Amino acid sequence: MTLLADPDSETQRRPPAARRGRWVLRALTGQRAGLAVVVVVLVIVFGTLRPAFYDSRLVVFPLLRDIATLTVVGLAQLAVLSIGHLNLAVGRMAAFGALVSGFSYQVLGLSLVLGLLLGLLAGAAVGALAGLIITSTGVNSFVVTLGLDFALLGLVTLVYGQFTTLAAFTVKPPGMEELRSFSLADLCAGDLCGSPAVPQLLLLTVVAMAGVGYLFARARTGREMLLTGSNATAAELSGIPTKRRVIGAHTLSGLLSGLAGFMLAVTAGSFTAGIGSAFLIPSFLGPVLGGTALTGGAVSVIGTFMGISLTQVIQQGLTMLGVGLESLNIYLGLILLVALSTVRIRQLFARRRSS
Amino acid sequence: MNTTRAVRVGLSALGIAALVVTAGCSTRGSGGGTGGSGGSGAAAPAVTSAAQVKVALVPGGAHPYFQPWKTAGEQAKTDLGLGGMTFDETGQWDQAKQNAATNSLAAQGYNAMGIFGVSPTDINSTFSDLKSKGITVASLGSCPAGEADQASFCLSTDVQQAAEKATQAAIDAMGGQGVLVHLTGNNVDSNTQRRIAGVKKVIDATGGKVRLLTTVTDIDTDLQTAQKAVSDLLSAQGGQINGIVSTAYNPAVAAAAAVKASKLPIKDVAIDDDPTILAGIRDGSVAATVAQNPVGQAYVGTWALTKLVTGQCTVADPGVSIDSGSFVVDSKNVATYDTQRQDKTKALLEQFQNTVLRCKAQ
Repeated sequence: MTLLADPDSETQRRPPAARRGRWVLRALTGQRAGLAVVVVVLVIVFGTLRPAFYDSRLVVFPLLRDIATLTVVGLAQLAVLSIGHLNLAVGRMAAFGALVSGFSYQVLGLSLVLGLLLGLLAGAAVGALAGLIITSTGVNSFVVTLGLDFALLGLVTLVYGQFTTLAAFTVKPPGMEELRSFSLADLCAGDLCGSPAVPQLLLLTVVAMAGVGYLFARARTGREMLLTGSNATAAELSGIPTKRRVIGAHTLSGLLSGLAGFMLAVTAGSFTAGIGSAFLIPSFLGPVLGGTALTGGAVSVIGTFMGISLTQVIQQGLTMLGVGLESLNIYLGLILLVALSTVRIRQLFARRRSS
Repeated sequence: MNTTRAVRVGLSALGIAALVVTAGCSTRGSGGGTGGSGGSGAAAPAVTSAAQVKVALVPGGAHPYFQPWKTAGEQAKTDLGLGGMTFDETGQWDQAKQNAATNSLAAQGYNAMGIFGVSPTDINSTFSDLKSKGITVASLGSCPAGEADQASFCLSTDVQQAAEKATQAAIDAMGGQGVLVHLTGNNVDSNTQRRIAGVKKVIDATGGKVRLLTTVTDIDTDLQTAQKAVSDLLSAQGGQINGIVSTAYNPAVAAAAAVKASKLPIKDVAIDDDPTILAGIRDGSVAATVAQNPVGQAYVGTWALTKLVTGQCTVADPGVSIDSGSFVVDSKNVATYDTQRQDKTKALLEQFQNTVLRCKAQ
């Protein structure tokens, strides 16, 4: 369900039985359920056409690993979309976070966890800087993050050039290779182990989703962010410290970008300046497909995961069908359009039937 | 509200539980880099003939340089009687996308791959993954950064040596002195760093007679970017430049056209043998170019992969790097350089048969 600035006001006025009925109907016809249905249908279609699509080692595991990273990227964008802002530097913040983590491992010799924490701090610091500039100057987030993107591009390139000969930090601290390649089959409770198709890296995404979900669904700060995104003036007049919420949202965006940068570096094998260069479009695609409003005030954490899953499943499926580069993006666009239209049509039908 | 929440939590818990234990009691340990244990990864059947070999040639993305791979791969398929050959350029210069492409190919039964890694510092991880899944891998067109190569072998242009040859050709054309500009690709790519080092080494050897005005990086993304950069360079500093050396494809094509159009007395040395560049050599606007050997990489690479997959041969020194050759082409040999390149391909084949591979007696 999409988290709105004031989601329950309507449902709370109805009797409990009617509320339950409404919730079930909404759950079944909502954007997330629609996306889930489309994803499942596509998985079945691709799996029928190419049975190798179900190969847990060669397809499902790497696919889930990519979905894990890109979902965090989507959450980073979602954090600022909640207040009606944009973060065009999401990829470069990821590169900066990864740079600090890589530096921690190669130059400082820190452990995997300490390097990760420093990378997260670095990402959060850059995000906070973006928020501070926006609130203190009043300049649009589009302009500020675009400028920051260029500045970080130069800085990251400079640091890699200064400290490395290969333009990358290649030292792998203990645990990094395991995090990259281990699945839930390597986590056992007695004789019961998890699925070999699910990468352990996905656990970081689950933690991030839980944290962001809790913030917007349960915490007062998250609700205030959504209200700021819904109507900043009304929020200000209601006593919400909107400037602090704006800085907070950008800080969270930077922190999650740093996490995504770390996850991509772990997946790829080294920390390079190229990390995050392909993050911008998925960062919008996931949240927007999942029901997060570009204008602020409404976010969907699960929807972001579903949106990213949809695009990745389509891409993987088309690749496995041997669709050439020329046609790949055309088919990707067409399937996305059909998928979204289907979701929308289902919602319209459901709304008509319920009324 | 509480009931609703309880339902939500219950459904989520069920979903997570289903996801986490779908495989039931699978065994611990994934065997290093396989991405999980168990699953459908049954041991591949033994491959004994070329007809059971399916080779995938995987460039980092779409680029004119790799187009000869397609025809050379098809030729090798016919000559060797392979079971399959594909050319997959869907990597789009993104290591994650290239990894998805190679995994898909492996799932479709391709048991040998010649790969140009997008990221030289990351590609060893990809090679390790594929090897652990029973795929035989060769690094074609670019070797991994650092000392180790997890692929069976690397067959690639020695990029530093090619840059040195190009710089020397430019300095010779300039008369041994003057101001030189270096145009190249992605600055944070280790291959670019090797090219920059090659250019610097030759310039340093002139003892100050040649000065490097600037190294323009990150202009190999597409031709338009390269054209704009070269145009800006010539407008601002064209008068003081005596020579241009390009070590990436798009800047080379852009510089060849721009120098000709500007009519400035600049000695331009390019890379690769795009028709624009060869035409420039013929009409004198391009002093020389350094041609590479993509045909040899794809053909010899496919041949060697086939020998390895079928178990007829093993690599004598796993991870060994072999230079696929680079050739200075100027007005004197522009009509005949391809013969020289074909000879190099034949020599490479012999080198693989005699020294790189250890083959069983037939």
